[in-house]
Parts: sequence; C-alpha cells; structure tokens
Amino acid sequence: MKKTIKPYIMLLPAMTILLGIFVAGLSMAFLQSLGYFPTIGLQEFTLNYYKEVLTDHGFLTSLRFSLWIAFVSSSVSVVLGVLLAYSIVKSKHKKGLEEIVYKLPVIVPHVVATLLVYNILGQSGIIARMAYALGFISQQSEFPALLFDKNGFGIILAYVWKGTPFIAMVVYTVLSNMNNRLSEVALNLGATNKQVFWHVLIPLTMPSIFSSFIIIFAFSFGAYEVPFLIGPTAPRALPVQAYAEYMNADLRHRPYTMTINMVLTFISFLCIWIYHKTFKLLNKYNG
Amino acid sequence: MGEYKMNKRNRTLSGFIMHIMIFLLILPLLVLVVWSFSKSWPWPNIFPQEFGLRGILHVLDPSSRALKSLLLSIRLSLVVTIVTLILSIPAAKTLGVYSFKGKQFIKMLVLAPIIVPPVAVGMGIHLTFIRLGLANRFIGVVLVHLIPCLPYGIRILTDVFEIIGESMEQQARVLGANSIQTFTNITLPLIAPGLISAGSLVFIVSFSQYFLTFLIGGGRIITFPMMMFPYIQSGDRMMASAYSMVFILATLVVLIMMEKAIKSYYSTKNYFYL
Repeated sequence: MKKTIKPYIMLLPAMTILLGIFVAGLSMAFLQSLGYFPTIGLQEFTLNYYKEVLTDHGFLTSLRFSLWIAFVSSSVSVVLGVLLAYSIVKSKHKKGLEEIVYKLPVIVPHVVATLLVYNILGQSGIIARMAYALGFISQQSEFPALLFDKNGFGIILAYVWKGTPFIAMVVYTVLSNMNNRLSEVALNLGATNKQVFWHVLIPLTMPSIFSSFIIIFAFSFGAYEVPFLIGPTAPRALPVQAYAEYMNADLRHRPYTMTINMVLTFISFLCIWIYHKTFKLLNKYNG
Repeated sequence: MGEYKMNKRNRTLSGFIMHIMIFLLILPLLVLVVWSFSKSWPWPNIFPQEFGLRGILHVLDPSSRALKSLLLSIRLSLVVTIVTLILSIPAAKTLGVYSFKGKQFIKMLVLAPIIVPPVAVGMGIHLTFIRLGLANRFIGVVLVHLIPCLPYGIRILTDVFEIIGESMEQQARVLGANSIQTFTNITLPLIAPGLISAGSLVFIVSFSQYFLTFLIGGGRIITFPMMMFPYIQSGDRMMASAYSMVFILATLVVLIMMEKAIKSYYSTKNYFYL
C-alpha cells in the first residue's frame, strides 16, 4: 500500500501549484466564458458569448493574424535553424562558437529581441541609415514601414531571431549524437551529399524538428510582449486583443475576454496533443 | 580526387553559410552595445557622433529606481528558482524513476504551461489572487512565476533522474543511511549538474517574465523588465539599449555565480563522477 501511494505524495507539492494556479486559472476563465460569473451576478450558463465572439469580424481577423505570425515565424526559424545546425556539423570547426550562438538568444528576453528588431529595421534604424547613405532614400519616411505593419513583419523577425538558435540547438544535438554510419553507408552506396541530407538526416531528425516547431509555434501564438510593442493597432494579435478587452471597466464585458482566452487555450491544447503524438512517433523510431 | 575536391568545396560552403548566419544573429546585439554606449546618434549617421556612459550610469545609479528594480528582480527570480527546484526534485524523481498509474497524464500536465499562453492563465487566476490578498504582492508574483518555471525544472531533472536511476540511493540505504542522509549525501551531489542547468533556465524564465509580473504585481512590484518596457515602447533607443545591456550582463553574472556556488558546495563530494 505504502509503495503505491509514494509517487503521488512526492508529486503532491508541484501538483498543488499546477492544479491550484494553472488548472484553476484556466477553469475559472472557462466558467466565465460560459457566462458563469457570480461576482457580477451572472449565474446562467450560455454559449452566446462563443457565438458572438466566433462570428465577430474583428476577432477573426486577430485570430488569422496571430496564426499567420506563429506559422510564418516558426517555419522560417525551422528552415534557418536546420541550415545553421547542418552547416555547423559540416564545417567541422573548433568547438565554442556555436555555444555562444545558442546561449545568447536564450538569455536575451523577447522584450529585448523586440528592441533589436526596432534598432535594425525601424524607419530610423541602421538599415534605413545605410539606405540613406547609399542614396536609395532621401528621408526617413521613404524607408518602408516594416514595424507596426499589417503583415507583422517586425514581429515575425523578432521571433525568428529567438527561434532559429533554439531549433539549431535541438537539431545540432540530434545530429551530433546520431550514428554516422547511416550517412556513411549511403555515401558508400553512391548517394550525393544532397541525397544524404534529404533522405537520411532530415527523416531521422524530423520528429525532434517537429516537436520544437510546435513549441515555438505555440509560444509565438500566445505571447503578448512582442506584438504589443511592434505590432499594428489593427489587426491586433489575439493576446493583445484579449488584454485590451480585459481592461474594459465594464465587468459584464469579461465573458468576451475569457472566450478569447479559451480560443487561445484550445489551440494550444491542440498543439500539446500534436506534440504528444510526435513523441510517440519519436519513441517508435528510437525503439 | 574529384570527390575530395567536392567535399572540400562543400565544407567551405558550409563554413561560409555558418559564419554568415552567426554574423546575422550577433549583429543586432552589436548594434545594441553601440547604442547603449552612445551619447548622441542622430539620423542619418551610421555611427554615433559622441560616445558616453549616460544610459548605463542612469541604470546603475544607486539612487535610481532602475537599480532598485534590478535588485528586486534578482531577489524575486532567485526565490522563484529555489522554490521551483524544491518542488521539482521530488516530482522529477517520481517521473524519472517510478512507474505508476496516470504517469503519462501528469507528464502532459507538467508540459502544458510551456504551451498554454500565460495571458489566459493570468487573467483566469487574477480575481482569485485579489480575493486571497496575493495580488500586488511579492509572494503573489513568486507564485504565479512558478507556472512558467515548473515545466523546465521538472523536465530537466526528470531526464537526470532517468539517467542516474535509484541504484546508488538503494546501496546507501542498504548500508544503513537514513533517508535524509541518503538525500543530502547521495541524491543531491548526483543531480548537482542537473540542478545547475535547471536552475539557470528557471532563473532566465523568471527574470525575463513581463506579462505575469505586470498583471499580478499590479504595478506595485516593479521588476527590471517592467522598468525597461516604457523605454522600448516610446522608442528611446539609448535608454532601452542601456537597460537591455544591464539586463543581459546581470543574467550572466547571476548564472555564473549560481554555477560556482553549486559546484563549490559539491566539489568536495564529487567522487561519483570523477
């Protein structure tokens, strides 16, 4: 008896925090999204808020914008990250350089990553200054407004700057722990380097690439700081929109906020589910 | 012969791509360093007109609010790191060593806070924190920081426990050590390297947290990222860059000190992995 309870007792402290704050917070948000908010006298469960929010044009634009940012930034990070990891492995240089590359972006928070993009790409940023010096533009306003734009170019770039080294680190770890024999066999049988890359290395690293794609996708989909700082006012990213609604002084507005939060949560749960599935796949390959 | 040439060309090409990409990743940081040491850098100059320490000195001025918030931030994140590690060790050992019913589900639950947006969790729990008197207070911010931090602490230490298993601890128990002796003399030294990497990552996650601090701290607990935010928002490049520089350097200093502290504490007991 004592043996069967022990694992649960050891899990208890961490689970108390996770259940008491994380699960409780999400449950509360869920109840409010269903219209149950006794604090202001709302007691009846209803799906009306979902109906309203999910058909609202502004909401749908925000949702599309957030999905776009997350998808493009994670895809670009994956492509660049794989390229970087592969070129580090291939070039067989001395160790040390890549360590800095991996570690720095981890230490630099998203708020600072936003500043980096602002310094480089803003209309008075370093690239605009170079364009001026080279005579491409004659004043600041002629430089394309890449920040605060409708396509979220600046936001995407900030996420790519953070995401690329992360992907590179994951892929590099897998590549350098991978048995070299498979590549050598393929080379011996007459495969070109390109073929080895596409038909040996990529399939073997695919599960870990995919699960890290999910992590950065979910992060850039749900983060507040970057789109708040260098995003456009219309459309707003979903987390920014949610907080703007939250600040509404009228508490009867709260269920709308929580409905948006539930959409964010639902999509992230979908990501967790996919992540879990990929891990099963990963274990199948390794086993 | 031809193949050899190809390989060599390929390697040079890879080296070229690698250096270009690393350069592009580092370049924004170099611009940041230059900005933080500039005094005047008007459009359209490519280099600053004058260098100066005004930004950095403002941040590090002992009478400024910036330095106060930096120290508060470090204290907060160290407390969060220690609490996270204390909660993570038993949980990670359970997940890494034992098999029990519901393990897969718990593993998913532990991962979930990395993926579910803090925006949703924060707004959901805010009212409860206000009711319990936890909002706008240090302890409330510590508690809410545990949510994004615990997944990292538990995940890293679970991997460590999976590798070391339980055999060493069982031997100690067989030889007559009690559970406290086993923990301090066997388990802790064994997982010390894992504690360093988990501790570092947890500190970073807590130290760079903006939204949750801002929401639950309610403007009363002003951490360093919160001091930095308005400068970035208003586009004050010099001040924002100076804050960022100090932020990055402070992180590095704390991480190095943390690593030194754990290593020196366990160096005398280091006989397991010589």
